[in-house]
Amino acid sequence: MNEQPVIRTQGLTRYFGAKPAVYDLNLEVPRGCVFAFLGRNGSGKTTTIRMLLGLLEPTRGEGSILGHDIRSLPPEVRARIGYLTEDHQLYGWMSVRECGEFQSRFYPLWNEQIFRAVIGHFNLKPTARVKDLSRGERAGLCLGLTLAPEPELLVLDDPAIGLDPVAHRSLIESMIYLTRRSDRTIFFSSHQLADVERVADYVAVLDRSVLQVCCPLETFRNSVRQIRLRFSSAPPPVPKIPGLLQAFRAEGELRLTCMHYNDATEQALRALAPAQMEMVPISLEDAFISYLGERGEKSFILSETEAQP
Amino acid sequence: MKTLILKELRENVKLAVLGLGILALILALNAQKYSTILKNLGGISDSQQVYLPWQPLVSSDILIGFFCAIFGAVLGWFQIHNERHRDLWAFLIHRPITRTEIFFGKVIAGLMLYVLATGLPLIGFIAWALVPGHVAAPFQWAMLRPTAIIVLSGTLYYFAGMLTGLRQARWYASRALGLGVALFVSLMFQSEWHLWQALFLILIGGIILATAVWGGFHSHGYYRGQPAPGRLALTGALMPGWGFVLALTAILLVELLLRSPYSQTQYQMTKDGAIYKVTQGDGDQSNIVDLAGKPLVDSKTGRRIGTADFNRQLCIRVQISPDFSNQAPHGRWFDRDCNRFTFWRATPDTLWYYWGRYGRLVGYDIATRRFIGSLGPDGFAQNVAGDGSRFDHAPAHASASRRIINTADTVYALDLEHRATKAIFTLTNESSGATTLSATTNAANEAIGEIAEVSLNGNDWDYTIVVTRGYIRLLTPDGKVLWRAAYKPGYPDYNQIQVTFLDSRNQFALWLSPSWYAQGKAGGKLPTQVVWLDREQGVLKNTDLPELFHNGREFAREQKLISLSISPALLVMIPLINEQPRLQDIPWVLVRYSLATALVCLPIGWWLGLRYSLSLPARLGWAAFYLVFGIPGLLTFLSVQEWPARESCPNCKKLRVVDRDQCEHCGANFAPPERNGTEVFEPLTAVKY
Repeated sequence: MNEQPVIRTQGLTRYFGAKPAVYDLNLEVPRGCVFAFLGRNGSGKTTTIRMLLGLLEPTRGEGSILGHDIRSLPPEVRARIGYLTEDHQLYGWMSVRECGEFQSRFYPLWNEQIFRAVIGHFNLKPTARVKDLSRGERAGLCLGLTLAPEPELLVLDDPAIGLDPVAHRSLIESMIYLTRRSDRTIFFSSHQLADVERVADYVAVLDRSVLQVCCPLETFRNSVRQIRLRFSSAPPPVPKIPGLLQAFRAEGELRLTCMHYNDATEQALRALAPAQMEMVPISLEDAFISYLGERGEKSFILSETEAQP
Repeated sequence: MKTLILKELRENVKLAVLGLGILALILALNAQKYSTILKNLGGISDSQQVYLPWQPLVSSDILIGFFCAIFGAVLGWFQIHNERHRDLWAFLIHRPITRTEIFFGKVIAGLMLYVLATGLPLIGFIAWALVPGHVAAPFQWAMLRPTAIIVLSGTLYYFAGMLTGLRQARWYASRALGLGVALFVSLMFQSEWHLWQALFLILIGGIILATAVWGGFHSHGYYRGQPAPGRLALTGALMPGWGFVLALTAILLVELLLRSPYSQTQYQMTKDGAIYKVTQGDGDQSNIVDLAGKPLVDSKTGRRIGTADFNRQLCIRVQISPDFSNQAPHGRWFDRDCNRFTFWRATPDTLWYYWGRYGRLVGYDIATRRFIGSLGPDGFAQNVAGDGSRFDHAPAHASASRRIINTADTVYALDLEHRATKAIFTLTNESSGATTLSATTNAANEAIGEIAEVSLNGNDWDYTIVVTRGYIRLLTPDGKVLWRAAYKPGYPDYNQIQVTFLDSRNQFALWLSPSWYAQGKAGGKLPTQVVWLDREQGVLKNTDLPELFHNGREFAREQKLISLSISPALLVMIPLINEQPRLQDIPWVLVRYSLATALVCLPIGWWLGLRYSLSLPARLGWAAFYLVFGIPGLLTFLSVQEWPARESCPNCKKLRVVDRDQCEHCGANFAPPERNGTEVFEPLTAVKY
C-alpha cells in the first residue's frame, strides 16, 4: 500500500483582501482514512478544499493531492478525485438521467450500478428535472454523481448542510456503505458532529483560519476533559490554568473544560480547595463546541452577573 | 469535449433562438420598410431619394452590426454567467479534462450558436433579396462583404462578453473593459483601405480576446495564476478599453470646461463679384468684412449687415472635385463594397442606378421590381452589359448630376423616360465658337474628370460644367461651349473647383483651391486663386486669397489636452493606417505631449512595482509598457494586477507583501500561528481495513 499522504499542505495560506481565510496550514491526510475537517462557519474549510482542488489560487504555500501539485492538477488526477460541493449545484435544466449521462462521459471508471443505487436510495425519478428536486434530493443526486466514478479520493464539502434528518441519514448511509474501501480516502468537512463520530478516523479543526487540531478522533476526544468542582461557599475566581477552554461558575460549583488534562492541571485545581472534584463525561459534540466556543469564564452567580456593567 | 459542446449547445440554444428571432424581425422590418418606400416613392423629393436604402442587403449593415455586437457580447457573457455560481463553476472545472478543452468546448458551442442566430436569418434575407421581383436594385456578391465582416467582428464581442463574465473585477471598474478591443476593431476596420487589412485587424483582436479568455479559464478569471500568454493577452485586451474611457473623459472635460469659442472664417462672393471674409462664431450673427478688413454695412441703414441679409446677396456657386485617378475602384474597401452601385434617378414607373461593375445605368420596373435593361453610350439594351460600352462615371460622385453622364471624352444627356442617351459634347469634336479664356496646358492628356449640371433656380438645367485635365468648360444644356478656362494650377494639387454665377449673365468667377493634402505639404502657403471671367471680354481680373483654415502642424489647445490621455503608440499608429502611410503624417507634437504623460507614469508604476515587490524583469517590462502606452498603460497595469495585502514583518517591522514566503526586505519567513496550549497534533498513519 502506498504510504504517501493523499493530501499534503505546507504553509498553505489564502488571503481575501487583508484578511487571512486560511493561515499557514500544514496538513497530511493519510491514505485510506475518513478524515473529518471541522470548524465554525468562516473558519476556512471551504477555502482550503477549493485550494486543494485547484479551484482557488493560494496566496502562498504549497500543497499536493494524490502526489500532484494543487496548482496544476492534470485531468487524470481529477478523474481520481470525487468532489461534492456544499450547495449541491447542478444544471437545473438537466434531468436526473441526463446528469448521469453527462457525468459518465467524462469518467472511464463510471459505475452505473452505484449511480442507480444512490438515486434509488433517494427515490429519484430519472426523468425528474434537477430544478424541480428538493435540496435533499439534489444532494443525493450529487452524491451519486460523485461516487459513481469510483474515485480514489472523495472530497465532500459539508455534504449534509441544509438537509432534513431523513435526507441527512440517507446521505450518510450512502456515504458509509458505498465508500468504505481500503484504498479510498474520504476528506469531508462537516458541522454534524454525530456524523463525524460515526465515520471519521481522523479529525482536523480549523479555528479562525488556523489549524488547531489534527489527530485521531479518539485523541481529540480524550484531550478534552470536563471537571466539576463543588464548593461549600461561592467558588473562588478561576486561576490561570494551561489548556483551559471554558469555565462556568455557578452557586457552589465550578465547571471547567480543559485541554491536555494532566498532573499540573490537577494540582492547580486542587489548590482551589474544592469540597469535591470529579470528571464529567463529555460527548464529541460538547468537546467540539467547548473547543470552538468562546474561551474564558462565564459566571452564573446572580450577584456577580448583576454587578457586571 | 463533445459532451461539453452538446451541453453548451443545449444550455444556450434558447438564447440563440431568441437572437435569431430578433434578427429575423429586424430584417423583416427592413424588407417591409423597403416595400413601403417603393409604394410611396412619388411623395419623396429627388434630393431625398438619393439617400434612400435602395438595396436592403447593404442598408441593413448598421442594424446588423449593432445586433451582432450586442448578441455576441450577451451570448459570451451568458455562457460564463450560467456557471458563475461558485459550486457550479467548481463542478465544471473539476471535469477530468484540461482547461483548454473546457475553453474550446464552450467556444465551439458558442460560435456555433452565434452562427446559427446570425447566419440563418441573413441567409434567408439574402435568398429573399435574390429572388427576382423582391428587390428592384442591382446585386453582386461583393456587396455582402461588409455584412460578412460585420458578422465576423461580432465574434470579438462574443469573446469580450466571455471575458467580462470571467474577470474577477468590479463592474464599475475594469470588468467590461475587454469590450474596448471589439469596439476599437469595429471602428477601425471600416477605415482600412483593403479587405485583408480589416480581416487582419479582426484576427489580431480575436487572438488577443480569445487568449485572454483561455487564460481566464486557467485562473478562474484572476490575473494571477494565468499562463504567460493569457496574462499578456489580458493586458492587451484591457488597454483599448482604458484608451476609450480616458479619451471620452478627456473629450468630455475639454468640451464642458475648456473648449475655445467656436469660430470659422471663409470667403464668400456676392452677386456683384465682391469677396468677403465671413466669420461664423457660436452666435447667430456672423462678422462680415471685406478683404481689407472693413465691415460690410447695409447701404440703407448704415449699420453692419446682418447674416440673413448678407446671405440673400450671395451668388450661386457650384463646387466640383475632379478625380482623374485611374485606380478604379478606389477608396476604402468598406465604402467601395457598400457603393457598388448608386441610385441615379426615378421616373414614375422605373428606378435607375449607375452600376460601376458595368459602367452603365441599369433600370428596374417599380411595379414588378424586375430588371428592365441598361443604358450605355450605345443606348438602351435588354441586358445588363449592352455591347460592353461604358460610362466613366465615378460612383462616389454620382449624386452630383442626374441629367448628364460622361465617358472619358463625351458628355451625354439622359432621357430616362424614353430610355435613351444623346451625346451633347465631345472633346474630339468640340464646337469652335467657344471663348478660350486662357491657353490650354496639356491638350494631349485631355480626359473628362468631372461634370456637373447647374441649375440657377433649383429646377431648370441652365449650364453644364465639364472639367478635364487641361480646361474647365461651361456648356449650355445642348452642349455648346460658352467658355473654357485653363485648369491651372491643375490637378492633383488644386482639386477644389468652384464656379460662381454673378448677376450679369455673362460673368462668372472661377475659384481654384488646393487639396488638403497639397496644402499640408506646402505648410498652408498655397493660395486660392480666383478669376473673374466675362464670356465676351475674357479674364476681367484675378486675385490670390490666402488660406484661412490651415494652421500647418499647429494643434489646438484642446487637441493637446486630449492627447495627454492617449497612448503615444496610438498617436503614431493611427495616421499610418492610410493608403500610402507616411512618417510626416504622424502628429509628433501630440506624440510629445503623450510621451510626457507616459514619462510621468513611469515613476508611479515603478514605485508600485517596488511596493508590491514585483521582480526586476516584471518592473522593467511594465516600465516599457507605460512608455509605449502612457496613462492607459498605467491604468491597465493597475487593473490587471491583484494587489496583495501587506502586513508588518515581525523581524524587520517593514510592510511586506503576503504572497511571498519570505520577507522581501529581510528574507525572514512568516511567523507561525501563535500557540495557546490547546492545540492537538499527532502524526497520522494510513488506515487499513
